[in-house]
Amino acid sequence: MNKYKMCMIPAYPLENVQLLKDRVIFPYVCFRTFGESLWLVTKSTGDYPYLSYLEGAELVTLPEEQPHMEAAVHYVTEHADEIDLLFLFGARGEYMELAGVYKSLRPDGIIYLKLDANIDWANTFPLFHKPFADFLHSCDIISCEARRLQSFLYKKWQRPVDYIPNGIYYPLYPEAADVRFEEKENMILTVGRLGTVQKNTLLLLYAYALAFPNLKEPWELVLVGSVTPEFQTDYEDFCDRFPTLAPHIRLTGNIADKQVLHQYYKKAKIFALSSRFEGGSPNVFSEAAIFGCTVLTTGVDAAPDMTDNGRVGRVSSDIEDFEGFARELSALCCDPAYLARNFHKMRIYMKEFFDYERLAGRLQVLVELQALKRRQS
Amino acid sequence: MNLTITDTLITLEEGDETFVLFEKPDLPDYQNVTARPYLASYFTTGESIWMRLQTSMEVLADFCHEDPCYGCYALLFRRLYPLLLSSSQAKNVIAYGQPANCGAYKVFQNFMTFLQEGNALTALAQSSFSFQVLSEQSCHAFLYCLDTHPALTAVCDALRKIRPGGLFLLYTLQDAPPAQLIPLCEKGERDCLGPCTVYAFTVDEALSAFACANSSENLIFSRAEEILKRAGDLQNLVQAMLAGASLSEEVYSIAALILQQTEEILLSIYDYLENDALPVLTNALKEAVLNYYVGVSGQYEITTYREKLTQSSEAFFSAVNAEFIKES
Repeated sequence: MNKYKMCMIPAYPLENVQLLKDRVIFPYVCFRTFGESLWLVTKSTGDYPYLSYLEGAELVTLPEEQPHMEAAVHYVTEHADEIDLLFLFGARGEYMELAGVYKSLRPDGIIYLKLDANIDWANTFPLFHKPFADFLHSCDIISCEARRLQSFLYKKWQRPVDYIPNGIYYPLYPEAADVRFEEKENMILTVGRLGTVQKNTLLLLYAYALAFPNLKEPWELVLVGSVTPEFQTDYEDFCDRFPTLAPHIRLTGNIADKQVLHQYYKKAKIFALSSRFEGGSPNVFSEAAIFGCTVLTTGVDAAPDMTDNGRVGRVSSDIEDFEGFARELSALCCDPAYLARNFHKMRIYMKEFFDYERLAGRLQVLVELQALKRRQS
Repeated sequence: MNLTITDTLITLEEGDETFVLFEKPDLPDYQNVTARPYLASYFTTGESIWMRLQTSMEVLADFCHEDPCYGCYALLFRRLYPLLLSSSQAKNVIAYGQPANCGAYKVFQNFMTFLQEGNALTALAQSSFSFQVLSEQSCHAFLYCLDTHPALTAVCDALRKIRPGGLFLLYTLQDAPPAQLIPLCEKGERDCLGPCTVYAFTVDEALSAFACANSSENLIFSRAEEILKRAGDLQNLVQAMLAGASLSEEVYSIAALILQQTEEILLSIYDYLENDALPVLTNALKEAVLNYYVGVSGQYEITTYREKLTQSSEAFFSAVNAEFIKES
């Protein structure tokens, strides 16, 4: 198989924290698997200490005086010869010119677009706007992060869209290798921007309150992440209203130190996701799952994929159904045998279908097939 | 575009170009309605065909002078006119590509009714599916806006609805037809004024044969054959994989390539599929093949990959059979 010169260009300047998220990590793993080089091209937003995790990847800082995408187009114009495989992230109008310029200079080059979309967003893509339609057309491989979205896009776009979920790069999680179920505690964990409309944290809080009387053992609810002022108020109201529950609930605030966060994943038996929507499965799901947490999620697009259609987790479909979510939560809390069994099943499922190294192996063949097609045409 | 109507000529000008749309025939009694050539039903208004044509063109200009297709409508009218006058038989004209309330359609219908009460102009919905309600060889003329649906199969489907000797009029605002339509357009007569072009065809045996060969029906049959051939090849490859044979890396790539081609073929006939999940099932099988390959080449535990490959292949092959070989 061939080795490719790769380049990842985000639609907006990269932040340090994004270096370890799907938009950069997957291209990085592809580089490790079948790349000759990887250039991350962005305007600087500050220091990039996480770059030290990405050995071999090169960061190209675009000039300050130009807007990000204008500078990126200029970069591609100058360096198209050095890019065999261009990674784009998100079906964003910002990419229209960039993709066109790249394809005009490198008709044999390959564009891989990772959609990072949910159905609602995908439904608003301006498909009748010719430059946007041309942009999608110029992408040789498009992947989305949820099977439900994939089926939707086949019907809407009538073009191949591959399913490549948001996965996990195991070398970044060495602690996950030796996690043991016996060391876990009765902890329900969630991680995210607490109180935002998307994360729908109140659902989890009140579902916990509804489930609480049914729990045979004490369970702690740990909410990790930055907190909106509205949610802080709601949380305080909640604690006033349910003083007996308050000692069992913990708001940790944002945890930037990955090692500390991983300790929570290690301890938690249940990871709860109460989101109204997600672009595929969130990174925190994959992280929790490799630590053997059983996942309870609302019916976001990726819910069937996250739980292997309910085999390794539970789905409460209705995003506003407090009682339904509480029912699933108490059922899980009251079934330690299931949680113990599922600890192993979940970890195996993740390794088999969410490991970025394996997913990169699949993308490699897809890229080879596209390269073959380009050569033939 | 400027319309000029005189006692003997109707012309359309665009810049320096002048196009003669209609010339009054030099017939002794042409102005006399009772001497209307070939027509059996008469009107009492005393209005001659020429007079009605003049009025119709004025109305067309009023309705449509700001419509980019105005020139096309005038050129269509020019081509339609001899057909409408060719016999006293009622004419069935189909129009596709503009909304049903298009001003030009109203003008054509009005003129057609003047000539013969039974003449009908039917505006189809702007979907090529609307052709399917029409019988083969059922109309005398078909007006087709190429810019609405510039696909060879759809054009040929439309052609098949026209009676032998009937008229097919393709119109467009594009300088040139799409590449796949060039061989067809070269068979027609081309009228052009400004940005407007009309290709006119009289349906004969050769044109009918061309339409048959390139119609969606024929496309579906030939694509179905291609899919079944590929499905047969795939079945052998997948069986070899599931049998645990030691296969070279290439085998997986070939299987993925065949599946990718199958997916593309299925998507090319997507509108005609009974099971619209077939392309995504094909993709799922491709994914399962590649996961299996990654599992084998990485020397991972492959039990789950084998199960998924079995499930995906069963789903794919049974869907292909149900879609293309129902009787079995």
